[in-house]
Amino acid sequence: MRSTRLSPYLFIAPFFVVFAAFGIYPLIYALQLSFMRWRGAGAARWVGVDNYLYLLTSPDFWASLGNSAVMWVLIVPLQVVAGLGGAVLLANARLRLRGFFRVAFIAPFVTPLVAMAQVWIVVFDQDYGLINYLLNLAGLPDVAWLTSTTWSKPTLALLFLWKTTGFAIIILLAGLQAVPGGVYEAAALDGASRARQFWSITVPLVRRSMAFLVVIQTLAVFQMFAEPYVVTQGGPYGSTTTAGLYLYNHITASDLGTGAANSFLLVLLVFGLSLVSVRLLRPKDEVS
Amino acid sequence: MSTPPLGRRGFLQGALGIGALAATGSLAACAPGGTATQPSKLAAPSASTSAAKGEITIWNRSGDLFKVFDAAIAKFRAAYPNVKVNHQAVDIDAKLANTLISGTDVPDGSFWDDAKIGGQAEHLFDLTDLIAPYKDQTSPYKLSVNTVDGKIYGVPWDLDPGLLWYREDILDSAGVDPASLATYDDLITAARTVKEKDPETRPIHLEKTPFLSQLWLEMLAGQQGTSLTDAQGKLRLDSEEYRRIFTWIQTAVKDDLVTHAPYLEPADVKSLDDGRQVFVPWAIWWSFAPQQLLKATKGKWRAAPLPAWTPGGARSGAMGGSSFVIPAKAKNPELAWLLYEFLCFKEPGYTAVYGPNDVYPGGLSTSIPSYIPAADPAKPLFQPIEALGGQDLWKVAVEAGATIPAATPIPWWWAQSVDYLGNNMQRLMEGKMSPDQVISESAEKIQRNLIDRS
Repeated sequence: MRSTRLSPYLFIAPFFVVFAAFGIYPLIYALQLSFMRWRGAGAARWVGVDNYLYLLTSPDFWASLGNSAVMWVLIVPLQVVAGLGGAVLLANARLRLRGFFRVAFIAPFVTPLVAMAQVWIVVFDQDYGLINYLLNLAGLPDVAWLTSTTWSKPTLALLFLWKTTGFAIIILLAGLQAVPGGVYEAAALDGASRARQFWSITVPLVRRSMAFLVVIQTLAVFQMFAEPYVVTQGGPYGSTTTAGLYLYNHITASDLGTGAANSFLLVLLVFGLSLVSVRLLRPKDEVS
Repeated sequence: MSTPPLGRRGFLQGALGIGALAATGSLAACAPGGTATQPSKLAAPSASTSAAKGEITIWNRSGDLFKVFDAAIAKFRAAYPNVKVNHQAVDIDAKLANTLISGTDVPDGSFWDDAKIGGQAEHLFDLTDLIAPYKDQTSPYKLSVNTVDGKIYGVPWDLDPGLLWYREDILDSAGVDPASLATYDDLITAARTVKEKDPETRPIHLEKTPFLSQLWLEMLAGQQGTSLTDAQGKLRLDSEEYRRIFTWIQTAVKDDLVTHAPYLEPADVKSLDDGRQVFVPWAIWWSFAPQQLLKATKGKWRAAPLPAWTPGGARSGAMGGSSFVIPAKAKNPELAWLLYEFLCFKEPGYTAVYGPNDVYPGGLSTSIPSYIPAADPAKPLFQPIEALGGQDLWKVAVEAGATIPAATPIPWWWAQSVDYLGNNMQRLMEGKMSPDQVISESAEKIQRNLIDRS
């Protein structure tokens, strides 16, 4: 009798064991670590909320968040607009070479990021890059794309857009294809123009997909790591040290307690931003 | 009706109980760091050469140097036939510290940057007694960067002396005698002379990457017998020596005497090859450039000792360098020591690395041994270099290396300090900061973010 009662739990136990070992335990361990000062050697010292206070009063921490915030402004709104445009384009059954465009839009998303980042370094090199070569042909001066504090963030944002806009198109295309065709037919019969249909039907009905996209990309932008790590190493003068890279810098310097505290602050921040995004973008019927 | 499994409440209570146990018991057992432990001291192996037996795993960097060490390890195995060496190419910077901390799959020995050793000393064997017989014959600089609280944790390997690389043909035509470059003021004067003759030149290389510029700064500071911190870890950036370096840089920048370019990247190579750069005060490993990268000016570069900061001062400082470490959790530390003793202190070992070999037919010329008997000016291990016009770089380098003063252990946070000091050096080189600003701002941030939090 007892074995009968326990057997369902035994069947699902492997998942919970693995989840506890590789999900819950590291999380609790990291939380504990965030209240300690430990560099990987010697005894860990309990410092209470010292690591959190240090970060919250550190100009470098806020600068890294500021860099990520600027990246967000440069990336997410533009990506939603470009993604929606691309999705509308690909949803059009009369578009020629639709299969080609679908592959073309998604290709950067499935290309290894580090390889693309290396290409970015070459293309945007101040002295030998293709972009400056083209600018020179047009009689324009060189631009320090990766080595000036003015241009480094836009250049990295462009890499992120290039890499992930295909993903945005997939999400929005899925949302678009879920809109019943009859709605458009009814609107057309009522004399709604294409633009009117877009603003009054397409945009409201893909709002959930847009909210999902904004949340996912907000998470991605605030965790952005590989792009600045490979292309600029956070420079020049820390102008591309994103929140993700700043966190990584603590870990690689074996400043593990501060790194753990930084992780939890980042989690809280991203959680808050995601909630705000969902609330702002939720459909009107849900608001009421 | 079948018997229901555990009730929902019972299940939740059980799960919470297990969770609480995990959170208290296991975490208490696995608290980060546990208790502080004293490093283990490694004793000399008791077995004779022929009796030494076993297998060791040795980590090394990948690339040509790995192949060179592979050949040297073959010589070691000829001397110790019963020791099998599992020589592995590993991304040491990414993996070794984590491996030491976790204590899992730890190698028996590894190559490591001198700058990393002090911060992880607790995970390494104390090698003081083993190195004692060689201590008096090892570069004081290398010993000092491997010593923490009086104990030696790394087997000193290469010494990377700073040299003054210069264009012999341009100095000839400008009437500048390289032998006259005895001080850094002489170097400024010579650069002005060169520039007067050819206004297109920006004769002196200044480094544009923050990390390398700070490494370069430490070479110039080490030349004056100082470094970022003293032996007790106290910051000493606000000093006459550092102010002297920063003022010199400011003078060179103001007089438009510098090429500010990233180390051997295309822009740097171009200005080296088209004659705009004439002086490159840099480590011996810059010898790679004329041998492999430069085309138009190959054969026209020469090396000299660095100028001194004060008349009669040391003519070189160290820029980088690595040693060998034996992790405290190594399975066969005695055998790893035998390998490193062979490579560093025995003639067949260091000759196999630095002497002519299959990878470098003329020998390895990007560093010199730190073991003084191996660094004899009269007994070159690598040959004169054709790309330097046949110059005997060995003699120049070992004589310069012999003048490098002792230093202090490199603080664990050194690489992190680049965000402050390295960046501010760049601002100085761009004319956006004064020497006093570099010192005060960098010192304040290093103290607050790195030292006070240690």
